[in-house]
Amino acid sequence: MNLVGITINHRTAPIELREALHLSKNEIVDLIPKLKETLFNEGFIISTCNRTEIYGIPKVSKLHYQHIIDFLLENKNISGLKPEHFEKYFSCGAVKHLFKVSTGIDSLVVGDSQILGQVKEAFEISEDMNFSGSVLRRVFDVAVKVGKRAIRETEIGEGAVTVSYAAVQVVEKIFASLDKKKALVIGAGETGELAAIHLKDRGVGEIAIANRTLSRAEKLAEKIHGEIIPFSQLKDHLHHFDIIISATSSNELIITKDDIKQMMKRRKGLPVVIMDIAIPRDIDPGSQEIDNVFYHDIDSLEVIVKQNMKKREKEIPKVESIVMEELVSFFSWYNTLEVVPTIKRVREFFEDIRKDELEKIKHKVTDDDYAKLEDMTRRMIGRLLHNPTIKLREIAEQGTNIQEVETHSVILKELFGLNNGHSKIYKPEESDIPKKEESKVE
Amino acid sequence: MLATIHFLNILLPVLYLAGFLVYYFDFTKDVKGLNNTKRIFLFVTLVFHVFYLFARTVEFNHPPITNKFEIFTVLAFSIMCSYFLLELLTDIRNTGMFIIIFAFFFQLFSSMFIEDLIEVQEVLRNRLLGIHVISAMLGYSGFTISTVYGLLYLMLYKSIKISKFGLMFNRLPSLETLEKLSFNSLIIGFILLTIAIIIGIIWLPSAFPNFSYLDPKLVVTGVVWIIYGLVIAAKYSGFWYGRKLIIFSQIGFAVAILSVIATIVFKDSFHSFY
Repeated sequence: MNLVGITINHRTAPIELREALHLSKNEIVDLIPKLKETLFNEGFIISTCNRTEIYGIPKVSKLHYQHIIDFLLENKNISGLKPEHFEKYFSCGAVKHLFKVSTGIDSLVVGDSQILGQVKEAFEISEDMNFSGSVLRRVFDVAVKVGKRAIRETEIGEGAVTVSYAAVQVVEKIFASLDKKKALVIGAGETGELAAIHLKDRGVGEIAIANRTLSRAEKLAEKIHGEIIPFSQLKDHLHHFDIIISATSSNELIITKDDIKQMMKRRKGLPVVIMDIAIPRDIDPGSQEIDNVFYHDIDSLEVIVKQNMKKREKEIPKVESIVMEELVSFFSWYNTLEVVPTIKRVREFFEDIRKDELEKIKHKVTDDDYAKLEDMTRRMIGRLLHNPTIKLREIAEQGTNIQEVETHSVILKELFGLNNGHSKIYKPEESDIPKKEESKVE
Repeated sequence: MLATIHFLNILLPVLYLAGFLVYYFDFTKDVKGLNNTKRIFLFVTLVFHVFYLFARTVEFNHPPITNKFEIFTVLAFSIMCSYFLLELLTDIRNTGMFIIIFAFFFQLFSSMFIEDLIEVQEVLRNRLLGIHVISAMLGYSGFTISTVYGLLYLMLYKSIKISKFGLMFNRLPSLETLEKLSFNSLIIGFILLTIAIIIGIIWLPSAFPNFSYLDPKLVVTGVVWIIYGLVIAAKYSGFWYGRKLIIFSQIGFAVAILSVIATIVFKDSFHSFY
């Protein structure tokens, strides 16, 4: 198989280079016609914030990896890129790498749930632009299957691996259902936004945003269909919320322990979860001493993240065995492609003989007898060719010795004279047919 | 029949122990596929236990409530039965090992010391006594389950408070769920204990000439009933939540245990039959 692939990812290059090389969907759409014209018959491009990968089946047999890298650099003007920033794959290696990428075990965050979708999108673009053939389509199908199996059969995607998700995980350990809970997100920056989105995804009933700059609060509130709490009145509203996540860039505490005590009085002691994911912290850590106040800062949430990362890493061998299983299955299929034309030609050859012989007796027998003969000869040819066909497929599926597959194919073609593509049906002369008496063994 | 009873007497603690181990294994290892197996195993154990109680009743011509080791097997059954129903209703399957362990010990002690009694005091053959004892047993089973969930609540509460995200954090249901399980079991326990007390008040004075409302066991049971009643009132009035409520119900259980000890210590109680 002549599939080639190059990748630049978190293992091979620093983030600046990965970011610089990132290709948007439009850029990929622009690049594919050029790739098609110069390098590949078929292929696809995957580009995420942590990796850019190009796979393809070359137009010429002597394509060097450097040609692909040069092609990329021609279209994306980046300085500082060196050949060692790229990993290169060929044939089985390229397929295996793609399968690993689909499962998320090659991602910066092991078990990344988004990568499978990104791989799917890459193939869809390739399909839309007529840049994928039957083999690549099969590669894609199996890659998606491997990704799904990894999620279903292992725990590679289990547990929170970001601080915002870990915060939500803790919240879910305190409250049974979040749909009747109210959450307040203080700070509408990147972290606050991520936390608000996670809360919304988890089905929190009501979410409110408080931010010093009102316009940013409004923007985020609109995005998550939440309400706005004026920052100056923040402390007056605290008791309304079961979940408080704070992620401002303030250099000093914005909520003191006394504020929390007041809040708990007004809540009549109802439990509250406080996630302080700001650095430096926004809420007095002494709040955790108050009954039914579950205070967590970024350090305690990091504990969960590390635990989950370890668990995911333990799952890698299981995922790798799924990758290997599917890789073997894929190449079993691929290797049979080599023998399919031979099998097809042998069958056609036998079918031609059958039809020829039937034609000879067509007018010498009744219609009923002819139908019986036709049926009988079809079954006979089927039985005669059954074992050779199965054997040839088996040898190809094993894929251990390509030479053996080729030898068997050549022998078959030689024996039946199929080498020119047009098999000539041998028609014996009368003298060639042994008389009954002559064929008798004395 | 007697041979079957003796066989089940040995088999039941083994089944409870095996059930505990299955639940323990699932809790610690989170094995996919054990979820339904353990439930079916528990159901089969309960079927055997029902048959055992039925067989004893028929064979010895009285319900198995005439001595403390017969009571223990009824208690083991009622704890397990209550838990099984709770698991079916809530579909929370991770906490079984904490409950089964109680049933196992009760059944073990019962199996070790239970005797084949045919001759019992006539008063112990009374039907009202049967209902009184069984409702009291189910009531105490409810309190036991409530206490176990309460303890789990306190453990999880602490582990979240001190950011210790270990096995308990990963495998237990949420605090709110544990509180709900604990409180619901407590309510069921309270209702059944109330029934037991009402039957007791109606029937005991006519059955025992030396009946006294100041009997130590009656007094302690009354205290238990009042404590649990206060817990329920505090919860419904919105006065207490979460940890405070759980701690108070734990106190109720401690007093309930004391009441059992009291019946052993105060031998002169009219309420002591064994």
